Amino acid sequence: MSFLQTLENSAFGAWVRESSSLWAYPTILFLHTVGLGFLVGLNAAIDLRILGVARKAPLAPMERFYRVMWTAFWINALSGTALLIADATTKLTNPVFYIKMSFVTLAVINMVRLRRLVFRRLAIDGRAVGGLGRALAITSLMFWGGAITAGRLMAYFGPVSGAPGLQNRIPTR
Amino acid sequence: MVQTFAAWLHGTKLSWAVAGGVPWIWLLCETLHFMGLALLVGIVGVLDLRMLGMAKELPLGPIQRLMPWAVLGFTINLITGSLFFAGDPSQYIHNVAFAWKLVFIGLAGVNVILFYVTGLYRRVDSVGAGHDVPFAAKLVAATSLFLWVGVMYWGRMLPFIGNAF
Repeated sequence: MSFLQTLENSAFGAWVRESSSLWAYPTILFLHTVGLGFLVGLNAAIDLRILGVARKAPLAPMERFYRVMWTAFWINALSGTALLIADATTKLTNPVFYIKMSFVTLAVINMVRLRRLVFRRLAIDGRAVGGLGRALAITSLMFWGGAITAGRLMAYFGPVSGAPGLQNRIPTR
Repeated sequence: MVQTFAAWLHGTKLSWAVAGGVPWIWLLCETLHFMGLALLVGIVGVLDLRMLGMAKELPLGPIQRLMPWAVLGFTINLITGSLFFAGDPSQYIHNVAFAWKLVFIGLAGVNVILFYVTGLYRRVDSVGAGHDVPFAAKLVAATSLFLWVGVMYWGRMLPFIGNAF
């Protein structure tokens, strides 16, 4: 048996995929969605502020939201790993998955750089954010957009996966 | 009546196009629905978390200017969600998770309306950096977070508790 099959057929992988409990696949998928909402959403709010929305609000206090964003990131790293184990043979052989991971990596690096450049190094308030900060806000929105797009398309292109009985496909007539 | 409407909707050209007739429409709507979700939850999250005491140095007035972007996220999701519904109405009208999702969206709407019509919005608008919002506003913020996370829960449960897809 290949490594991917071993992973997928492990007790944990089988439980996530095949358990009829709502705490298995459905709840893990739900957590992945909540994590997405808070990680991408709060980052987008920061990006929009840098780009001039609500410009009278001081930017510095928004750094506090990084704690929530990192929590959401780890929720998604863990829930994503569980979903990956459950469908290792299909997801890890799906090129779209690697596109998604590339976008997520870029977005997270971008998020860290944004913190260093905009929040830590510049005395920001009362001044417009410089060109590099604004560029990072734009690439942040682009990378997260790419990650969401690839994540959604994973369910439709390449080897199909998911819990049995769940056909995440375009409905057909 | 719902049955009749669903049957009529199912027979329309739009329904055909969304449900695989024009394959990219479904994919585009799925992607936009998740972007709209992130925009809505993120902006509402900033306001609710601030009202609950996080990032207290943010004055409430200026950050309320972010709200139009949450409305944009909601509008994107209302449109794409309606298209999903049009694509296969029968999947939704007999789906208990979908019913709950609508109830939660409705309650979230009532929550926002109460925030504005009770004048709480104006009281919050003048809360400056470092100050607490009135307790009633904290209640609205906590309710909002609960309801939107609930909307995501019921949305995700469409195929599992309900019968969609």
